[in-house]
Amino acid sequence: MIEVEALTKRYGSFTAVQDLSFTVRPGEVLGLVGPNGAGKTSTLRCLAGIIPMTSGTVRVAGRDLASDPVAAKRELAFFPDEPRLFDYLTVRQHLAFVARIYGVADHEALGRGLLEELELLEKADVLPGELSRGMKQKLVIACGLLHSPRVMFFDEPLTGLDPLGIRRMKDSIMRRAREGAAVVLSSHLLHLLEEVCTHVLILKKGRKVSGGTLAEVAAQFSNGEPSVSLEEIFIRATGGSEN
Amino acid sequence: MVRALLYLRLQSLRNFVLHRIRRLREPKYLIGTAAAAAYLYFAVLRRSLAGVKAVASAPVAAGVGAAVVCTALGALGLVIVAYRWIFPPQKAGLRFSEAEIAFLFPAPVTRRALIHYHLLSAQAAILFTSVLTSLFLNRMTVAGGNRLLGAAGWWVILSVFELVLLGTNLLLARLRESSPRFLLWRAAAVAAILAYAAAVAWSAGRFLSTGGHFLGEPGIDLVAQFGASSPFRWLALPFRVVFGPSLASSPRDFAVALVPALAVIALLYAWVSRSQAHFEEGTIALAERRAALRAAAQRGELPQVRRSKPKPSTGPFRLEPKGPPEIAFLWKNLLSMQGSLVSRRLVVIAIGIGIGLSLSIGPVLSWKARASGFDVYGPMIVVFCGMTAAYTLILGPQIARQDLRTDLANADLLKTYPMEGWRLVLGELLAPTVVLTGVLWCAILGAALAVDAGGRLGWLTPGTRVALALSLALAAPVLCVIQLIVPNAILLLLPGWQPAGRSRGGGIEQFGQRLIFAVVQLLIALLVVVPAAAFAALVVFCAQWLVGIGTASLLAAAVVVPLLSGIAAVGLWFLGHRFERFDLSLEVR
Repeated sequence: MIEVEALTKRYGSFTAVQDLSFTVRPGEVLGLVGPNGAGKTSTLRCLAGIIPMTSGTVRVAGRDLASDPVAAKRELAFFPDEPRLFDYLTVRQHLAFVARIYGVADHEALGRGLLEELELLEKADVLPGELSRGMKQKLVIACGLLHSPRVMFFDEPLTGLDPLGIRRMKDSIMRRAREGAAVVLSSHLLHLLEEVCTHVLILKKGRKVSGGTLAEVAAQFSNGEPSVSLEEIFIRATGGSEN
Repeated sequence: MVRALLYLRLQSLRNFVLHRIRRLREPKYLIGTAAAAAYLYFAVLRRSLAGVKAVASAPVAAGVGAAVVCTALGALGLVIVAYRWIFPPQKAGLRFSEAEIAFLFPAPVTRRALIHYHLLSAQAAILFTSVLTSLFLNRMTVAGGNRLLGAAGWWVILSVFELVLLGTNLLLARLRESSPRFLLWRAAAVAAILAYAAAVAWSAGRFLSTGGHFLGEPGIDLVAQFGASSPFRWLALPFRVVFGPSLASSPRDFAVALVPALAVIALLYAWVSRSQAHFEEGTIALAERRAALRAAAQRGELPQVRRSKPKPSTGPFRLEPKGPPEIAFLWKNLLSMQGSLVSRRLVVIAIGIGIGLSLSIGPVLSWKARASGFDVYGPMIVVFCGMTAAYTLILGPQIARQDLRTDLANADLLKTYPMEGWRLVLGELLAPTVVLTGVLWCAILGAALAVDAGGRLGWLTPGTRVALALSLALAAPVLCVIQLIVPNAILLLLPGWQPAGRSRGGGIEQFGQRLIFAVVQLLIALLVVVPAAAFAALVVFCAQWLVGIGTASLLAAAVVVPLLSGIAAVGLWFLGHRFERFDLSLEVR
């Protein structure tokens, strides 16, 4: 579903992501982990077609992101860490706008269902300025899910959410994966990754340090110790510093 | 404590200035500063220097000017104070930044120290404004044209304004908190102000009715005589004290006038600094509102003072889920315009008035011209419509900004949409294009109805009139798109230069950058419009012999509009391509 080969992203002379390759299949949830500046957000933004990659290949649902970006983008949804909304569109109008962009014919019924699921129905006719941060995050999710994407990218999905919001977000991610979506998420919250992710990719200074299922990565850094936590794995894999 | 506050203020000012100086190493700031400095020198300072000589040659006229300005300022101050008493703020608020509130309000600082700090902070702005005002209005400064004394005079006026307004706010807040007769106090204050205004009006009437000698006299004598007349001279005493330094005709007079003015400032300062009003909540609300305004300005929205929250709107039309996605952007941006600019009711009223006037003006002008044998109003209206069209084309794109400029903050979101870049850019430009085209069409309609209302030009038949207007109307939307491409291209090519959405914007550099952008906009308009108009004129000139002017103008439009559309299409394709490759994180590094 997501095939990445030799992905490289440079900002001038600075290399944010170097020669990254991995695959995420339907139903899998890949967690991107790494210290600050490891290249997690740059990777996600390249995968979502937000910024152009310097070199490499990304295929989303079989579509090449560089040569057929419109078709590839129809299959994906990107959820940023900070909810970006249009100030003068109500919750319902956000859904209508997104429906037109993606050509979702039955958006009213779909939107209503999503708003019900995300407990936003009562706020359908209010502007984003009247929503709490958690509600804004929910609206971003509703907009992203409206066109039933097969691939989802979450950048720090739990930022600013309360405990109940965190629980719901985790459930939502896992449910979409069970329904066949391929999910990539980045987070500093390692307990989230342990709960939600089937696979982990550890990055440091733009390079892949380790990757695979949680068990595979744990085996690589456990040094034979039983039940090593992901936190310990992370520290060992990254050498305990950003540099 | 005051030393600590002074340290904070001075260090902040020093670092601010150093930061501004250091960033001149970046070409965009250096060029912007150079452009602004050149403009200020040629448009203000040079005239200002010339103004000193003019003052020296006509001191009496300058004195009259100063008196008129001071009278207007005094009246304005009185109106503002009356407004405060009629519509008092719910809570008194001092101007503090959010950071100052976060650090100073929980600190062991007395309320009086906070007022001191506020007054100290206000002084920096007052001093700066005083210097600028004395430069801009030096013709009004007497005292031998001495700018330093002029600035000091303005400092007195602005300081008194600041203290009076602050004191009034605090007094009102205190009365609201503690006095059960708040309404009565307000009524009494408003009555006193009205009585004062009535006395001034009565004294002016008395002067005019008894003077008699002003007719045929130079106006300057009239002003001087009225100022010296009784009882006005006594009624105006408080204002004369405050404005005295600004009205002084020599350094000696200035020194004499400064003493009572400073005494007034000292009294007002004592009154304000002893206030026991609770201003904390109002100050926090004020700081939040200012922060929101600043954030809105950084997003590229108009810095309007919005006291109430925006209300949801139903949208300009129903957005169907199927169809070109560009229309979704038109719908969204029109909705944003409705929410951010004016209410839909106002827009409908304005359009209704415009159409009504346009439709009624033609017959009225024709009748007037026929009745008088001379068309007086027609040329004026044509000139007005022409100027409106020119301003719409040149300045309109700087005002109607509901396009990529306001959506750049959402670039990450926009780039995930399954759309080619050029289609997204086209969608973003549609809303301002619709608005500007609407204004242009109104101007064209007005001009078409007003031109030669008397019907003296035999060749301008109704058919020709319609054909000419239609030709211009066809070209209008394409010209608007081209003009809107310019600022959006600047945004995508030089995003670091774009003031909207950047916290580093502001100051004299940004002023200079805007000047440069305006010149570029004007040049592009000339480069596109002049050749197109010349080519159209050539087509009309050649074809009119065969098919008449009306048909020839339509023929010219049929040739020129596709050419302009081609230019617009190339521009859109280029912008779309640029947007697809655009990486904000890279651009601002």
